[in-house]
Amino acid sequence: MGLPHHPLETLNPLSETELNEWEEAYAAVEAYFQALRLRNRLLVAELVRRVLWRASTRKVTEPDTPARVLAMEEALAEISAWTQDVLAEPLENSRLAARGRLALLLTGMPDQWQSVFLTPPPWPAAFVAAMRSSYLAAGPTFPGLPMVAKPLELNAFGNGAAHWWDTMDRRPIVGLMFFAILMTLIAATLWFLFID
Amino acid sequence: MDTPEPSPRDATRPFSGRFRRVLRRLVFFGSAVTLNLVACLWMADLFWRTGFQRGHFTLLAVFFVLNGLLVLGSMHALFGAWDIICGRRRAVRITRLADGHSGPLAQRFAIVMPVYNEDCIRICGRIEAIYRSIQATGHLPAFDFFILSDTRDLNLWVLEETAWTNLCRRLDGFGHIYYRRRKSNANRKAGNIGDFVRTWGGGYEGMLVLDADSLMDGADIVKMARVMQLYPRLGILQTPPRLIRGASVFTRLQQFAMRLYGPLFLRGLNFWQLNGGSYWGHNALIRMQPFSECCELPALPGREPFGGRILSHDFVEAALMVRAGWEVWLAWDIEGTYEEAPPTLIDHLKRDRRWCQGNLQHLWLIFARKLPFAARVQLFMGIMAYLACPIWFLFLLQSTWLAWDRRFSGLSNLTIPGYAGHWWHITALTQSLILALAILVLLFLPKFLALGGAILATKVRRSFGGALPLLAGVILETLVSMLLAPCVMVAHTMIVISIVLGRSVGWGTQNRETDGTAWPDAIRFHALPSVLGIVWTYVAIHISPTFAAWMSPILLGLVFSIPVSVWTSRSRYGSALATRHILATPEELAPPEVIRLADAATAALDPALSASHEGRFGITAAVVDPYVNGVHVSLLEPARMSEPELDLAERCLSEGLHAMSDRDLTDLLYLAPAMLHMHRSVWLRPAESIHPLWTQAVESYRRRLEGSAS
Repeated sequence: MGLPHHPLETLNPLSETELNEWEEAYAAVEAYFQALRLRNRLLVAELVRRVLWRASTRKVTEPDTPARVLAMEEALAEISAWTQDVLAEPLENSRLAARGRLALLLTGMPDQWQSVFLTPPPWPAAFVAAMRSSYLAAGPTFPGLPMVAKPLELNAFGNGAAHWWDTMDRRPIVGLMFFAILMTLIAATLWFLFID
Repeated sequence: MDTPEPSPRDATRPFSGRFRRVLRRLVFFGSAVTLNLVACLWMADLFWRTGFQRGHFTLLAVFFVLNGLLVLGSMHALFGAWDIICGRRRAVRITRLADGHSGPLAQRFAIVMPVYNEDCIRICGRIEAIYRSIQATGHLPAFDFFILSDTRDLNLWVLEETAWTNLCRRLDGFGHIYYRRRKSNANRKAGNIGDFVRTWGGGYEGMLVLDADSLMDGADIVKMARVMQLYPRLGILQTPPRLIRGASVFTRLQQFAMRLYGPLFLRGLNFWQLNGGSYWGHNALIRMQPFSECCELPALPGREPFGGRILSHDFVEAALMVRAGWEVWLAWDIEGTYEEAPPTLIDHLKRDRRWCQGNLQHLWLIFARKLPFAARVQLFMGIMAYLACPIWFLFLLQSTWLAWDRRFSGLSNLTIPGYAGHWWHITALTQSLILALAILVLLFLPKFLALGGAILATKVRRSFGGALPLLAGVILETLVSMLLAPCVMVAHTMIVISIVLGRSVGWGTQNRETDGTAWPDAIRFHALPSVLGIVWTYVAIHISPTFAAWMSPILLGLVFSIPVSVWTSRSRYGSALATRHILATPEELAPPEVIRLADAATAALDPALSASHEGRFGITAAVVDPYVNGVHVSLLEPARMSEPELDLAERCLSEGLHAMSDRDLTDLLYLAPAMLHMHRSVWLRPAESIHPLWTQAVESYRRRLEGSAS
């Protein structure tokens, strides 16, 4: 691994395992930038190379950590730090990443501000303003209104029916008897009217 | 002592006076009762002439109810026609209050769309169309939009969030269009609206309640808001939605019938209900303050299906509003109000199952105290809309039995003169033919009136594609409706019986689009009416061919219920009819601006933020995609992750989504730190330490995003 100004002769040859490991790291970081909808290949390649350079320097001190983990940690940390700088907003760390990504989306970074992404300040004022004003709200901050159910006032017939209904509900045997009597009455009426 | 200042409501003169209200209701219902009594007496006399049996008592009682409902329907059409003939200027039209008024709205209104497992792209398309339509009027600052999700499908939840975010991005709608999902969908749609009122109701004078398939024109919305602003007595302003986008034959039949015959019934309804109107659940503007004070629904005595939570909340809310002194009006002249219909007979009947239970619950409210007459009538008509079918079924069964009994009893068919014979010297056969003719007239009167009116009015005739397509449409609609009616009768009867036996319904998603009913589904669903039809036909022929001929419209509908259900569900037949302008509606032939806007709406779709990509759909996208994850987490409440919750997230990472229960996934999706942890983990961890689902989703980004590049 090396920076652009490093002559190729100074690079140490990598083993096949190391090459595969860094290939996986490269793919992961590139995929993440593509997930952020960065469309410019040159830009993506440049950013990936920068991230991998940092990861490779960490690899020296953390040889047991997989290259992919180092590279992605570097990528996420860089995006996080950069969005915090742009937003200039002290947010709880875990939510900052989401807030930053949301701001990038709402600002239209993939379409309008690709070239600004992960660059050092100063940033275009319009970009900064757009980033800082980008947030989501599930609703306005209006006062609510109370809603309290008023009991249903039934007339005498309704009250009687409700009482009877309640009784049948609490005592299934009464309900069953009522049902049986009702069916018998209906059958007897039909017999009387139509058969007899 | 100072008398308290009257409220704006009480200080405002009513739009329609008490005298006119009472007179109109007296004339309307008086005519209906008189006509029904005459028909019943005529029938009783006929029974008397042919030999009165005990069974005729019940038949007469059932006829009284059925004919009463028929007369009531015809009276609506008749009085509606009279109202139309009298002219728009003389008609009672609440929106007249807004005529000649312009300028910005002084009050603010919310447009709320409750959704439940719906196609979010189409929902956002409708919101976009309404938004742009209001924007064109210049009154957008007076309105906020709310998508109130009760969606239980977790993938759809994520799709809704992304669609809404895209919509806001494209329309610059942040701060105007809001999205909120309820964690628990208690009390269904009524609970969803109630939750909105409790949370944000204080910021608005009124709310326009839409259904997920509703569409409304911006200018009409502004007009409704203006009426509410100008008339403090108004509690609810209901519009009559028109059916649109019918593709299948069944939907086209419905939308044609509603569009052609609907205005007559609406004018007739408005003739008597005036300020005691009803609320149909959507496409209506509701004043927030009285709604919050009166419309939290009480639980009914007992358990479901008859008791418990009220399913059909709309009628009850209107009744409670009217009881509290607020006026509920039907804005019959609002034209830019639309909805869609279930695409097939089976979908229609499934929806009826839900509505039927809700309406039968209203039996309790008939016995509620202090409920005004109009509200009781509305509730009664709602109940009878579903009880009519079992009663009709009973009537047909009784008639068959009596015909059988007479055929095989050996009784003489000689008649006695009776009153009709004595006074008018007519035979029993003539008397029965007169009765049949009268019933046919009552049955087809609305169709004749609507067709005649449409053909005579040049503008209306042209809007339906001309006289010939209109005539062909009416004939086809009449024939197919006759075939469908018996099947609906049996289905409604079974629905009522199942509800009476205590089977409660769930809250199903409504199918809004389909390629048609499959034959096995139709056979399964319509097996009962088909078998019943075959047996009944055999019995009828056995009684006498004449009786079978009289019964043939019913029997044909039952016997052919399966093919008719399948045939009417087919979109290709609907398209064939559409090309010939048969069953065409004005909205289909010349789509209004708001429908065109909805058809062209694409704001909710953006490849930059999508949760519907192959390989990372819904929940997977909410975990893997940086933007979908960002949107999802930003909409969650701040929280901390406990040790068990971390274990849950780790299990999801290692075992994948399919290993998780819905409840676990819901918990994870509601926990911002868990979603962030999972997002970070799927990108950081090597493939072998996480489930292949996540690896494949990450890998999917390695293919160039051609969509976004274009």
